[in-house]
Amino acid sequence: MSPHSCVKIRKEWDIVSARQLGREMAKKLGFSTVDQARIATAVSELARNIYLYAEEGQICFEVFETIERKGLRMGAFDTGPGITDISQVMQDGYTTSGGLGAGLPGVKRLMDEFDIQSEIGQGTQIKTVKWVR
Amino acid sequence: MDKIVDLDIAHYKTLLKKYIVTQDEQSLYGVELVSKSFIKNNILPEEIISLHIQALGELYPDINLDVKHSMDFLLEAMISYGLALQEVQILREEQFALKSEISVAASMQDTLLGTTIPDVSGLDIGVISIPANQLNGDYHHFVKGNDGSIGIAMADVIGKGIPAALCMSMIKYAIDSYPEDKMSPKMILKNLNRVVERNVDPSMFITMIYSQYLPSESKLMYASAGHEPGFYYNAAKGTFEEIETEGLILGVLPDTDYKQYELEIHDQDMVIFLTDGVTECRDGERFIETEEVLNVITEYIHLPAQELVTNVYKHFERLQNFQLRDDFTLLILRKEV
Amino acid sequence: MNLNVNIHEDIDKFIVNLSGEIDAYTAPELKENLLPLTKQAGNVVEINFENVEYMDSTGLGIFVSALKSTKENKSSMKLVNLQERILRLFRITGLDKIIDIDTTIRGESVNGKL
Repeated sequence: MSPHSCVKIRKEWDIVSARQLGREMAKKLGFSTVDQARIATAVSELARNIYLYAEEGQICFEVFETIERKGLRMGAFDTGPGITDISQVMQDGYTTSGGLGAGLPGVKRLMDEFDIQSEIGQGTQIKTVKWVR
Repeated sequence: MDKIVDLDIAHYKTLLKKYIVTQDEQSLYGVELVSKSFIKNNILPEEIISLHIQALGELYPDINLDVKHSMDFLLEAMISYGLALQEVQILREEQFALKSEISVAASMQDTLLGTTIPDVSGLDIGVISIPANQLNGDYHHFVKGNDGSIGIAMADVIGKGIPAALCMSMIKYAIDSYPEDKMSPKMILKNLNRVVERNVDPSMFITMIYSQYLPSESKLMYASAGHEPGFYYNAAKGTFEEIETEGLILGVLPDTDYKQYELEIHDQDMVIFLTDGVTECRDGERFIETEEVLNVITEYIHLPAQELVTNVYKHFERLQNFQLRDDFTLLILRKEV
Repeated sequence: MNLNVNIHEDIDKFIVNLSGEIDAYTAPELKENLLPLTKQAGNVVEINFENVEYMDSTGLGIFVSALKSTKENKSSMKLVNLQERILRLFRITGLDKIIDIDTTIRGESVNGKL
């Protein structure tokens, strides 16, 4: 397994492949079972967003090491319609009320670091990190 | 995780071990307490499962792999519950913040819209106005004119809560700007209608009854903009009559004229103004009839006006299990020699 | 309580059959369904209250908005089969003078039959 790998998301089954890759890398890095499960859930949320709203995009993983700590970097990149109001989608209760899932606030909670950028008509980039504890 | 949580974790393991051997109630009670402490310390469900898996591994190093896998599976299933729980906590905090914000608004509303019953000899006035929620969409206001006349406004904004309360402040300041003792009820309504029509969303409007009592002539003049008709109590006959009202609610058509009525008031006669929160009371699924309101008023008719309205309110509050569905305002004016 | 809004397109008009209660909770749904019909010039919209058990003042707001919309868009609206209690609400507020309401009250004799 390379330290940097991506999974393209085109159909629902690709979500499973992305989860699988994320979990394998997390396991290898030494994440606890709970954190592995959290990373997998975050992958699902990001991949499903791409599948539902952007048609095409990818989820990328990268091992990330500094002197003090190591972690898993995960990014979701799509060329979809973009998000008009990021503050709104980052609000609790915005997507979950319809039972759509944990949404982006969920991903933010599951991971340790979270950053999102979006351009209307160009796409959305979400970058996250989870540190090994 | 801090010390308390570490202690709880150790305790959980001990209790689990004991329970597996004895299946005693004491261990179950123990885990109930531990679980409460977990909740207090924001421990998520998947963390408890993880703890359980760890404890099992320590107690039974040779645990069946199938069981171990099934526990991992359960852990996975709990992740989303953990997220949902965190979300609920955040929403609860937000709700708390909103509630305190609204209660600040409510006390501000009390100050802004405050009014005192004018002290006029020969006139006994009582009024009660209770909002269904924190903010009141009903409004009443007294004005004492230089000529000795008493102006009484009663209004109800369609809708409840914040939008209604905001709207009420506008009405109050519009009325304040009129030289009331020089304007007749019908003119006040005509002017207010224009203000509301221009400034308020089309799906929102206001009903109002504006009256002026002239003590020197024992005469009540009033005009209504679609407001719930009040009642006139004829003391000599001991009967109630619905007072005659006709007029379009405020804010629908830009140019509306209102009819003005006159009522002669004799000793012990009463005029009753109310909002639909009174007439639309529900007893379970059943709506009360107008008769019932009048019967309850009759029951307490011997009391001074303020006690009278308070008792009527208490009656309907109890009838509706102390949960008002709409803002409730009742005003009674009685002539005394 | 819920409100069911059922729109039926007849030859010359839209019939909006309502059943349930119109209050602050159900009013938004009614508004969403009713307003678009009034926005089309020439549309005749008939609102059937036969199965409306309750309406509070929030409901009135919807019909005032709809009325304004019919005037702006040259469509028309008529309310039929109102229960006495609901009709009273339109009368008190003076709206019966500006909204077209069929005042034959539900439950009264129609064609000699009950």
